[in-house]
Amino acid sequence: MLSTLTSRTGLQGLIVYAGFVLIFLFFAATLGSESFLTTKNLANIVLQTAPATVMAVGLVFVLSAGEIDLSFGAIVALAALVAAIAMRNQPMIVGVLAGLGSGAAAGAVNGLLVAYGRLPSFLVTLATMGVIAGIGRSISDLQSIPVISPGFISFFGGGSLAGIPSLIIWTLAAIAFGHLVYRQTRFGAHVLAVGDNPRAALVSGIKVARIRLSVLILSGACAGLAGLLYAGRLQSARYTLGESDLMTVIAAVIVGGTALNGGKGTIFGALVGSLMMGMLNNGLILMGLSVSYQMIIKGLIVLVAVAISLRDPNR
Amino acid sequence: MTIRFKSKLASTLSVLALMSLPLAAETTGPGGEAATPTSAVTIDDAQAAELQTKGLKAALLWHDQSDFVNAVTAGATDELTRLGIKVVATTSAGFDSAKQMSDIETALALSPNIILSLPLDPVASAAAFAKAKEAGVKLVFLSNLPQGYKQPDDYAAIVTDDLFQMGKHAADALATSMGGKGTVGWIFHDAAYYVTNQRDQAFKTTIENDYPHMKIVAEAGISDPARAEDIANAMLLKNPDLGGIYVTWAGPAEGVLAALRANGNTTTKIVTLDLSEPIALDMVKGGNVTAIVADEAYELGRAMADTGARAILGVENPPFIVAPAVTVTKENVAEAWQQSLHRDAPQTVLDAAK
Repeated sequence: MLSTLTSRTGLQGLIVYAGFVLIFLFFAATLGSESFLTTKNLANIVLQTAPATVMAVGLVFVLSAGEIDLSFGAIVALAALVAAIAMRNQPMIVGVLAGLGSGAAAGAVNGLLVAYGRLPSFLVTLATMGVIAGIGRSISDLQSIPVISPGFISFFGGGSLAGIPSLIIWTLAAIAFGHLVYRQTRFGAHVLAVGDNPRAALVSGIKVARIRLSVLILSGACAGLAGLLYAGRLQSARYTLGESDLMTVIAAVIVGGTALNGGKGTIFGALVGSLMMGMLNNGLILMGLSVSYQMIIKGLIVLVAVAISLRDPNR
Repeated sequence: MTIRFKSKLASTLSVLALMSLPLAAETTGPGGEAATPTSAVTIDDAQAAELQTKGLKAALLWHDQSDFVNAVTAGATDELTRLGIKVVATTSAGFDSAKQMSDIETALALSPNIILSLPLDPVASAAAFAKAKEAGVKLVFLSNLPQGYKQPDDYAAIVTDDLFQMGKHAADALATSMGGKGTVGWIFHDAAYYVTNQRDQAFKTTIENDYPHMKIVAEAGISDPARAEDIANAMLLKNPDLGGIYVTWAGPAEGVLAALRANGNTTTKIVTLDLSEPIALDMVKGGNVTAIVADEAYELGRAMADTGARAILGVENPPFIVAPAVTVTKENVAEAWQQSLHRDAPQTVLDAAK
């Protein structure tokens, strides 16, 4: 009923914003200004969700093109580890390029298998998720790799520019870049066209395979950047990084209004979805709930949000 | 049991890095500190009364969820309640260091005075706990230590299991059931995990040093618990007259038990570590299992709470505190289960023990 109404009035895309405001108001009312509403806590939510938001930008492109990437969580760890290992005896820039490069390379492998091997992205990335996670474990020997470059830690972790924390700057940069490319470029339009109807896109001259390859490389690069943000924040890299982000980021992107089967998406929605997931984590802990109840309530709220976002009134 | 074991292995991440002597003759702290038993770390009524007036808050920031963590949480929460300290947040990082850092930041918004936690990773947790340390929160660590942290300025103390005693108790229990003589099979965890390595080695050392008429005649490493039955079968084929088998933890012990049953073997004794319902059931029914050695997880939580409270009061804490091991047998199963996890043994076990 609600989704029919919102769809008719074109408001379905606004659901995530309404949900965000409702959850915010609920926590503000129940937890008050002593904990939840403090500037520090609200800043914490944004800082903590920065890597997930960056991953979400890449995933919006992948889903919009009608594909899926299940390997980005594993790529996060790989990129962080590669960067940390490179910086043991190389300057920061080498570490950054190695981290981002490994992410993009992993994405390229996915993309080549999907676009030119004509394999379904679900199965390809399910398989490469295991391969990449295994490589991460292998190159680190299951140990944490410390990051000791103060420049890297400041640039990707705890530093700030003109009083703005670097993690917030990275979040804004990723969102701005993602939004511009998604909405203002021919590439963005082609991604949507391929996701909406690949046959029609092909007939109209769009290089469908190249678009599929590109979105998976972009997703890998975004995961690589998220890995660098984690490495900067934790001042170390570990093979477990990103493992638990897979479902959270997929949920954030879908709750944000990106269609699971392609042709529709929004970068801003993904940002709000990501912040909503972070706010739920934060607020439920501050409420003093046991871990089991935190999981149950978070799951139920995501279920409701996804149901409202995805429900097709014509089905 | 797998979950509990996974939880145990979390300690690995740390204690591994902590302890310079991986196979010490007894459980020692990160800087070689002698272990102090948890019974020495208490809060008396006068101190409790003083704490109750302070309006203190605590956060329990765990690495994961498991029955072990639940028992530690119960011990800590009961004691904190006695001391008038409110538990304002409980979290589980699901073995994710980044989540643990977020959990710490989030909990700090509630201004806790005490944080009890198992730092997942010495390297990452050094950065993660820095803000709590700067805020003057009293940190009590379970089994692991962030890199570079010094006691007592940076943290109140580390509390952990007495791993050496767990292995030693297992050896003593098996020796008792075998009358101090006979042949033994040793199934150890074949992986670089501090927790299991310490316990396994302590068993072996005790048999070799304390029981001259017992001999370890078969050794087999196990990395996949699902293969325990095959390994036990091979061991029994070569040594059909084995008097007893030590199994590194209860999961694979279930496989070893299955092998003995399949062979119609009712004489070879099994001793293992960590509580498990199927293993306990065999033990109380007079089967192959002669004893299970467990840790006192509830007591561990109680001691963590008191360590934090003592730090608040300015009472000096020992740097390295260990919770005792408890040997569970058919005779004491009800009390020992309570002693370990502070809850009743499964009804099936209690009924069979009658």
